[in-house]
Amino acid sequence: MDFVILSLVMLSIGVYGLLTKRQLLKVFISVELIAIAATLNFVMLASSLGVGLGEAILVLAFSTDTAVSAVILALLVIVSKKYGTSDISKIVKLEENVESEAEA
Amino acid sequence: MILEVLSIGLIVSAILALFLDEMVYSVAALSGTFFFTALLYVLNGAAFAGIFQFAVGIGTLAILFLSGEMLSDKPAKKTSPTKIGVLIGAGVALSLPAFFLSISGSSGTVDTSSFGDSLWNLRGIDVVLQALVILTVAIGIAIILYERRNGGK
Repeated sequence: MDFVILSLVMLSIGVYGLLTKRQLLKVFISVELIAIAATLNFVMLASSLGVGLGEAILVLAFSTDTAVSAVILALLVIVSKKYGTSDISKIVKLEENVESEAEA
Repeated sequence: MILEVLSIGLIVSAILALFLDEMVYSVAALSGTFFFTALLYVLNGAAFAGIFQFAVGIGTLAILFLSGEMLSDKPAKKTSPTKIGVLIGAGVALSLPAFFLSISGSSGTVDTSSFGDSLWNLRGIDVVLQALVILTVAIGIAIILYERRNGGK
């Protein structure tokens, strides 16, 4: 069992979701998966070596991650309420329409 | 053996969280990801990390359930059982390399400091992160005030 490869697979899933998914909440879930992959790598390597550093880094990393998640979700709610959809491609089109109307 | 089962569960739930069409089911699968990760930590001797992961996961999931229900567009059709089966199969296939491949790490000197010592040594970063959290709160308040001022526009 190699947790480096496990976290690499998790990272790949997260990056794939980040690149292909259009819904804002799915993008957010992809970011969460990438964060889990990174912390999994830290904690598993450190615990296999018997070092407490991995757990300490996880605590600090997740504190930051939670704060960042709160900001992302706040922005996500604002964007969804403003444009009435959570689809990135639709939001881009709506924004382009608004800009072209403003120029005309 | 239990670690392998948990790893398969982790990958499968991550794939389901990403590819299920209905947002509530997707968030439920993400809860599985958090749960399996926490169990993996606990079984590898990182109990504190597991508990922390579990606590943070519950908070994140509660907010995600609410926002997922509020914001998501309803899918045109329900996810078919065949698609769910394919996703689970893909997850199991993706977790196989973790069993059969192995990367040998460097065997340098190991610092066997405890969790408390490590956290104390990282207190400089901790202060920076506390500042970051306070900055985040400030940004959040600014966003709320901005929305209140421009409400309805």
